[in-house]
Amino acid sequence: MKRLLTTLLALAMALSLAACGGGNGGGPAGNSLDLSSAAWEDIVEEARGTTVTFYGWGGDENRNNWLNGDVAEYVKERYDITLDVVGMNIEDILAKLSSEKEAAAQGSIDMIWINGENFYSAKENGLLYGPFTHQLPNMDKYIDPEDPETLADFSMPIEGYEAPYAKAQMVLYLDTAVTPNAPASAGELMTFCQENPGKVTYPALPDFTGSAFIRNIVYELCGWEQFQDMEADYDTVKAAVQPAIDYLVELNPYLWNQGSTFPESSNTVDTMFADGELVMSMSYGPFSVSTGIDQGLYTETTQTFVFDKGTIGNTNYMGIAFNSPNKAGAMVVIDAILSAELQLSQYATLRELPVVDFDRLSAGEQEAFGQVDLGQGVLTQEDLLRHRLPEMPAKLVPVIEEIWLNEVVGK
Amino acid sequence: MKKPDFTLILLLLPLALVTALVLAACGAVLLQSLGHVPAFGLAGLTLGYYRDVFHDPDFLGALAVSLSIALKSAILAAALGTALCAALVARRKTGGPMVYLVRFPILAPHAVAALFAILLLSQTGLLARLACALGLISDFPQFPQLLYTPGYEGAILAYLWKEIPFVAYFSLALMSSVSATLGEAAQNLGASPLRAFFTVTLPLSLPAISKAFLIIFIFAFGGYELPMLLGATLPKALPVQAHLTYMSPELRDRPYAMAMYGTILILSAAMARLYALLTRRLMKKLGGTV
Amino acid sequence: MRRSIVPRLILALTAACIVIPAALLAVWSFTARWPWPNLLPERYTPRTVSELLFGSAKLSRLLGSSIALAAAVAVLGTAIAVLTARAEALYRFRGKELIRLGSWLPLLIPGTVFAIGFHMVLLRLGLADTVAGVLLVHLVAALPYCITIMADVTRAVGFGLEEQAAVLGTGPFRAFFYAALPSLLPGVLSSMSMAFTLSYSQYFTTLIVGGGRVKTLALVLVPYIQGGDRALASVYAAAFTGSALAVFGIFEWIIYKVQRGGT
Repeated sequence: MKRLLTTLLALAMALSLAACGGGNGGGPAGNSLDLSSAAWEDIVEEARGTTVTFYGWGGDENRNNWLNGDVAEYVKERYDITLDVVGMNIEDILAKLSSEKEAAAQGSIDMIWINGENFYSAKENGLLYGPFTHQLPNMDKYIDPEDPETLADFSMPIEGYEAPYAKAQMVLYLDTAVTPNAPASAGELMTFCQENPGKVTYPALPDFTGSAFIRNIVYELCGWEQFQDMEADYDTVKAAVQPAIDYLVELNPYLWNQGSTFPESSNTVDTMFADGELVMSMSYGPFSVSTGIDQGLYTETTQTFVFDKGTIGNTNYMGIAFNSPNKAGAMVVIDAILSAELQLSQYATLRELPVVDFDRLSAGEQEAFGQVDLGQGVLTQEDLLRHRLPEMPAKLVPVIEEIWLNEVVGK
Repeated sequence: MKKPDFTLILLLLPLALVTALVLAACGAVLLQSLGHVPAFGLAGLTLGYYRDVFHDPDFLGALAVSLSIALKSAILAAALGTALCAALVARRKTGGPMVYLVRFPILAPHAVAALFAILLLSQTGLLARLACALGLISDFPQFPQLLYTPGYEGAILAYLWKEIPFVAYFSLALMSSVSATLGEAAQNLGASPLRAFFTVTLPLSLPAISKAFLIIFIFAFGGYELPMLLGATLPKALPVQAHLTYMSPELRDRPYAMAMYGTILILSAAMARLYALLTRRLMKKLGGTV
Repeated sequence: MRRSIVPRLILALTAACIVIPAALLAVWSFTARWPWPNLLPERYTPRTVSELLFGSAKLSRLLGSSIALAAAVAVLGTAIAVLTARAEALYRFRGKELIRLGSWLPLLIPGTVFAIGFHMVLLRLGLADTVAGVLLVHLVAALPYCITIMADVTRAVGFGLEEQAAVLGTGPFRAFFYAALPSLLPGVLSSMSMAFTLSYSQYFTTLIVGGGRVKTLALVLVPYIQGGDRALASVYAAAFTGSALAVFGIFEWIIYKVQRGGT
């Protein structure tokens, strides 16, 4: 019977090897336009009447509706482009693209919602098309070219491979009716947890939000400057973050389940907070509390706060797949999302920090942004930006996650 | 039985085509686990990734966790599912509303089963609230932690909720036909219903039940969602560990993930072989005594 | 009467274990906030239902494509299973072991690998991101179950009736349809509903092989569950299971009518 299995395996490999050899797929056919040197008018003309797919995380009902509504209408009216929004996790998108790259096949993904470690990996492995952002008129018109977040994403040089979409910033929140005093530093958080034993926790890494929370603690206790050019070496990083590890281990006994286990995602932490099982939660969406209050998930006394020393902020971006069948269309839609009109609509309906540079807006546009009602329980945009810290280099992120798993969980 | 002829080829052709595809898919994964990923500049074949993975204590811990989840889920689901199936047959509820009800958990995606587990069994779930309302506990930390434990009780319970009905439904057709013919004949010959069940109906229904056992074992061994949603941060279940490695933005780590998946694949195949050997021996034994 | 109490008890317990979560699903579909230690929600909302019915996900189209896909998988999977089961039961040939292993193979592969491996293969065949590709991968996922069910039933039923029909001079196809198929029918039905279920609840395979181009209900449901929106997840889960059970109901009603009309 062992022979049978071996034969089967051998057969399987032979089949796959044969398939690999023959893989040459259909290259991009009928590309009449040389995109990289084309004038914007020609790109718009090329894109007219086509369909553009936009792949990204699909678990946010409001964002899905905004994309299928405001954005889809905007590009339909102006450019006769049909926008097809597809929900898919970024890891799966990259897995799909890498399989397609291996098979040298044309794909179905045009635009991708991406940032951070995933941008680093996608760009390194040639999964993105570019550079393209220098050709977008709205990039020139509204985006500050000197902004560090325009130049680099988690310290990875962007070099025209992605355009900003929205700004995120780590915030914390609690219910002032339950716990009136918000901790303003890591030290105060320790006291806060001791006063509410078992009712505070954070999402298990590598969850985006949990990972950002830990980096935030690292920044506060170890400073952030030293990490900007650090080697991604386990021992080097571990030595640098040791004060934070000590702090987290000391925090464990007061956490939910004594820090022996952590909720697997920030969504779970949110629902536990909504149920009253936890007294504090956290989010990468700086205005998510007001949406939660509007939907009745949180009480009206829920309030956002940040530590005095600031919290990590980053931008999320839009890229184009290396094998996108409609790169011209993707460029036109990305340009549309950078327009003041859609950035304003995103700010007003989704309550996401806009990426446009305020000094570049007209007086009328500035007024419109100023009039947006952000709802209850949130900090102002100025307050957030004043407390904004830069992200850590992308390649350090997985190292810190590994250190956390080895040195903090259950210790 | 007939000798092979042209009709046989026609009968088997569709399955053969599909199997070829499946083999190619397995082969593609195994190739990557041996380090052949040309898209990321990895070429050549090596067993090094398997070696590294098997020297990693986290991986071995995960392997142990997954084996334990799979074994516990499969044994309990097979036993309780057989009981449910027998009850359905005994009460002649082999169609109609009860069978509809039984199909509901089979139909519900695993993520929904996890949702139920959290809504019912977590420390602030419905059971804990009932206990609080009845005055058994005064605050939720007193309620026993059933989910997120290193023993994976939460994931096992959720598997049971889905798989007990599966075993029952999967064996229902066979058991009801066996019971309707041979079981009743035994009763007519004077056997008590319980005796008729254990000596006639159950042994003859074993093919379906044992197949269901194997299916559940393999599924729970390779299943990702429930241990992910209901398990502990450490130790992780093997598919969770493999998935996290697979999701790692460092695409060159892909062969490690594939080596873990390859391990799941090979162990599952070994289980299936073991099962085939055992059942054949069992059948021979039964054939000898009956 | 001890013996009739025990089965009753088992069934009652089973019913409770299924009905209570189902009821919870219904309540959560309208729940905005349900804090500890309330036994009932504190605040209700119509948001989820209006999102389900009028949201951008287009429920009717999702239902249509999911049901059509699952129905096709049910028919094709069962047809292949009937053929394979006949070959296994009717013939003595070398490599039978191989056939059995082949039909089991898809069960041995963890879901993620299955989807990724298949995507790599279908890419080369030009079937990635197509309905045909998704149909194929669902078919593969359903086949082991279909074949097991059909093989058991075929062996149990045997070929006696069919052989008699053949002796009486009926052609092989007629003999199969009129003599064998009616007694195989219970197996055919359970194989079809198993295949339907399998296809209907596929998430990862549809996502990867269909590339998001082929849209099904499960594809919209699962991100909401993962996204932690329990109310929206509940309403979609209710729509998901409800629609599948409704399809079974209609299907079985038709079979019932046809059988009654036929005899």
